[in-house]
Amino acid sequence: MIARLLIVLPVLAAAAAMALRRNDIGVRAACVGTGLVMAVLAFVGMVAGLGRAPEVVSTISGVTLPDLRMPWLLWTSPAIGVVTFVVAGVAAVIQAYAAWYLATDDRYATFAATMSLFTAAMLLVVQSADLTLTLIGWEVMGWCSFLLIGHWSRTEVARRAAAKALLVTRAADVGFVLGLVGLAVGARSTGLADVLAYWTSPEAPVNARALALSLVVVGVLGKSAQFPFHDWLPDAMAGPTPASALIHAATMVAAGTVVLWALYPAFVLAEPARWLLGVSASITMLGAALLAFAQSDLKRLLAYSTVSQVALMLGAIAAVPAQVGPDAGLFHLLSHALFKALLFLVIGWLAVVVGSTAASAMRGSARADWVSRVALFVGLAALAGVPLFVGGVSKELVVEGAFEGAVSPSGPGVVVLVVILLTVVVTAAYSTRAFIVVTTHRPGGAPTRRTMPWSVATVLAVLTVATTLGGVLALTGAFVLPSSSWVWLAISVLLITVGVSVAWRAGLRGDPAEELAGRFIPYADRGLGVDRLYTDLVARPVLAAAAVARFLDTEVIDAYVRATAFTARLTGTGVVRAHRGERPAVGTALVALGVLVVGIVGVMTWS
Amino acid sequence: MVLSAALALPAMVGALLVVFGSALGARPSRWVAGAAAVGSAGLLWAGLVRGEVVDVLWVPDLGLRFALRADGYSVPFVLLTSLVLILVVAHTAYEVPSGGSAGGYLGCVLLVGSGALTAFLAGDMVLFFLAFEVVLIPMWVLIGRWGDPHDLAARRDAASRFLLYTAVGSTLMLVGILLLAHRRGSTGFAVDAVQGTGPRAVLIVLLLVLGLAIKLPVFPLHTWLPAAHTIAPTGGSVLLAAVLLKLGSYGLIRLPVLSAPEAFAVIAPWLGLAGGVGVVWGGLVCLAESDLKRLIAYSSVAHMGFVALAVSTGSQLGIQAAIYSSIAHGLIASLLFILVGGLKHRWGSASLTVAREPLREVSPRLGAILVLGLTASMGLPGLAGFWGELLTLVAAWSPAPGRPRSVFVASAIIAAVGAALAAAYVVRVLRLVWLGDAVAGQRGRPIVRVDIRGVEWAVTAVLVAGIVWLGVYPYVLLDLTVVAPAGPAVAP
Repeated sequence: MIARLLIVLPVLAAAAAMALRRNDIGVRAACVGTGLVMAVLAFVGMVAGLGRAPEVVSTISGVTLPDLRMPWLLWTSPAIGVVTFVVAGVAAVIQAYAAWYLATDDRYATFAATMSLFTAAMLLVVQSADLTLTLIGWEVMGWCSFLLIGHWSRTEVARRAAAKALLVTRAADVGFVLGLVGLAVGARSTGLADVLAYWTSPEAPVNARALALSLVVVGVLGKSAQFPFHDWLPDAMAGPTPASALIHAATMVAAGTVVLWALYPAFVLAEPARWLLGVSASITMLGAALLAFAQSDLKRLLAYSTVSQVALMLGAIAAVPAQVGPDAGLFHLLSHALFKALLFLVIGWLAVVVGSTAASAMRGSARADWVSRVALFVGLAALAGVPLFVGGVSKELVVEGAFEGAVSPSGPGVVVLVVILLTVVVTAAYSTRAFIVVTTHRPGGAPTRRTMPWSVATVLAVLTVATTLGGVLALTGAFVLPSSSWVWLAISVLLITVGVSVAWRAGLRGDPAEELAGRFIPYADRGLGVDRLYTDLVARPVLAAAAVARFLDTEVIDAYVRATAFTARLTGTGVVRAHRGERPAVGTALVALGVLVVGIVGVMTWS
Repeated sequence: MVLSAALALPAMVGALLVVFGSALGARPSRWVAGAAAVGSAGLLWAGLVRGEVVDVLWVPDLGLRFALRADGYSVPFVLLTSLVLILVVAHTAYEVPSGGSAGGYLGCVLLVGSGALTAFLAGDMVLFFLAFEVVLIPMWVLIGRWGDPHDLAARRDAASRFLLYTAVGSTLMLVGILLLAHRRGSTGFAVDAVQGTGPRAVLIVLLLVLGLAIKLPVFPLHTWLPAAHTIAPTGGSVLLAAVLLKLGSYGLIRLPVLSAPEAFAVIAPWLGLAGGVGVVWGGLVCLAESDLKRLIAYSSVAHMGFVALAVSTGSQLGIQAAIYSSIAHGLIASLLFILVGGLKHRWGSASLTVAREPLREVSPRLGAILVLGLTASMGLPGLAGFWGELLTLVAAWSPAPGRPRSVFVASAIIAAVGAALAAAYVVRVLRLVWLGDAVAGQRGRPIVRVDIRGVEWAVTAVLVAGIVWLGVYPYVLLDLTVVAPAGPAVAP
């Protein structure tokens, strides 16, 4: 019941918000209120589901076609219960924050409704036990992200970023759709249980499985902003901060992790798909962390850090062997949801205070109030993976899982493990840099002061507590996690210390990025020119092909048609001259042609 | 009897309006035409619910029968045609195109509807052909007389091209039908299919497919469509998209696929490939097209590519996908043409190269409905377009036996790429007409602030409801089409 409510309620809330759009209080009641109710419901569902076996939840009745069964089921398990709760909870908190952030926006109702729909789509993907439902949630999220990123559509930056997000993810979705279709056709069903049963059975064709799952991985790389599709996410910062927080933390980019987690029993058997995911995630993980370090805009720093952290989840899923299972990646998803939401909302608050997200403008901005300082510290510590914070717990589990993968005979475990360890150092360094930038004294005088509204303070407090204590979710027994070892804990702490101290030493003289990578900053700000590559290698050729197609359509294909008409008219004119009769219509000539065809065919057939 | 009356009512009223319409005035004509459309829909409903079958010997010497019957494949098309007919008549309360009397216009609309309904209900191939032909004449008049008044030469060209092109197609189809009738010894639909893949069977299927592919239209036989769609008045475009193209998809299912399945399998790969290429082709042209109405027309080419691919798979699932795509496209294209017609009415042209006030800022309700129509067109889940495209891909991934699977998988991949192009051109259109800078400070642009309301709003609201309903509640249409067509309803 709760599983179904969690999808239906936000859809209804979105509809209500659109109906009440002229009444701000009504919209708030609909969206924020529903969000809170959903968080409570999801909590109840999570607690009730702990320790129980996975079970299937029926929805609207499915359809059985002659060649395809579509059961349209949801499912719950303890792990899904926890993820659902975190998604619903984070979404509720972000809805509350948005009510403050966009209080004076004339299109707040549309925004809140879209966020609500977006949450519904994500909860559908999380709880889906059917490839069709997964695809529905997946595509609806893509469209909602277009609306959210482009919310401030009066600016060209937002319009371009929104279009880019939709088109890049939609291009990758060609793979996703075809992969899901391939999986469904093999199993003659879209039900997750049928699909897994067929594709994990010994008679499943190995190459088809590898192909279908690799195609699914391509779609995941797009939606999760992984190399080479990653560049849409930093641009998406043009959207309002709550939209960024929602897209980055609990939904959209994390959806790929959920899908691959659900498909894991088949995925782990498809070696090429594992390597594709592992290599792409490895490149993204380290590359995005380095780019994050050198960003001159703090919101973009968070964007690249999301790209890198999602790569960590996907890398874990690619690397872990079958006997360990993919839960470590899923646990990092919810850990990241908590601390990334916290970081976005703190930075969003500080940016409102100083009026910019540039690192130079935000320098020392957190000195004004202790709430943001504490929140920022906790969020960044979790991001860096400091033990005991939720991010530390999850990163530890990912490292353990990758190690298990590295010592197992198959999969990209070694590559992923090495890259994870390098990434830990860089992540600690850029987290430290962000903290130094926002908290150290600004030469230009005292920071701007502004009283934090109670709603923002509550939101930050809730997320800070959750980020600090979220690690206990690992103890609920909902996840099958690799056993932790003191050796890896010690290695992680050592690596984090290295990263922190390098950044800290440089931070004594100013912004660590300028000290350590000053020359790299302009390139990092442009994302190494990947946007240019998209334009030159994809957009331009496609538009050129479009122009050619249009030309061919009118000048070549249509020319045959015109030629027919012309010939007919010529014949007609000839007939006119021959007989002094009425000018025959072009049609007569053509029909005569048809009669001729009839005659020829008739002779051929009956002879 | 009820079914015959349902067809005769709009035909007779239509003929009377064509003859006496100019004497009647716009408003009375509208009421008369509306009564005929609604009355016909009611009679059809009654006939369908009672499962009525008409079968009268018509031309005894030739063995021709006036046979009407409905099954799961024809009912969706019949209902779509009835609905669209009512909406097109209602829409004249918003705008009557210039070029002649309202009565004449409505008369032609009713004649098109009556002919199309006859074709969908026909139980006899010759009756199907005749109805198919009868539709062309009033449609030709609609385009040639009530078409875009701006360019007389283009109007004449579009109208005559439409007529000639599709007449050539019908001629080919007629030959195919006659050969098929000769082979089967009956002109009825519901007799045993032609077996085997002999050269004659393949020739029959080739003629039928060619003729119907022009109607659908399938790439590269599509060039009559953009001209006709662009020039036709709003109601004419709607009828073209929702009714005439559907004659093509219905005919493809009814004639080659069901009448000669084995021979159809021989040429099906080519049809499937043409369908897949058509999706990409239509999408590409939409990326470069500078007239919004033409752009929507080319998006129809892309959608009909999906239908061609679905039909060519020859499987039950493929047929269902084709019907779903066709019905969805009928609703979506109707909505888009009504919206674009309204925009053209407001703007004076549908050119995308003119900078205009963004719809989101000046007429938000019209903008929102346009967004819904375009996202449905790109196959967003929750809206009608999604199921047809998804099921088409599934069907193409596992075509009916006797077909080269690799060709169909390749076609599916091409079509999936084309579906991504749909997102690109939708975003392009949205950025050109929906999104933009705030109104303040924009000077020198024509200010059009008339939002959608009244009849225009009601008509689009019905279509929106249909699109959402088919998107979130696919059972009815899938259940309707899941059953194979009923056994011989007409004695051979």
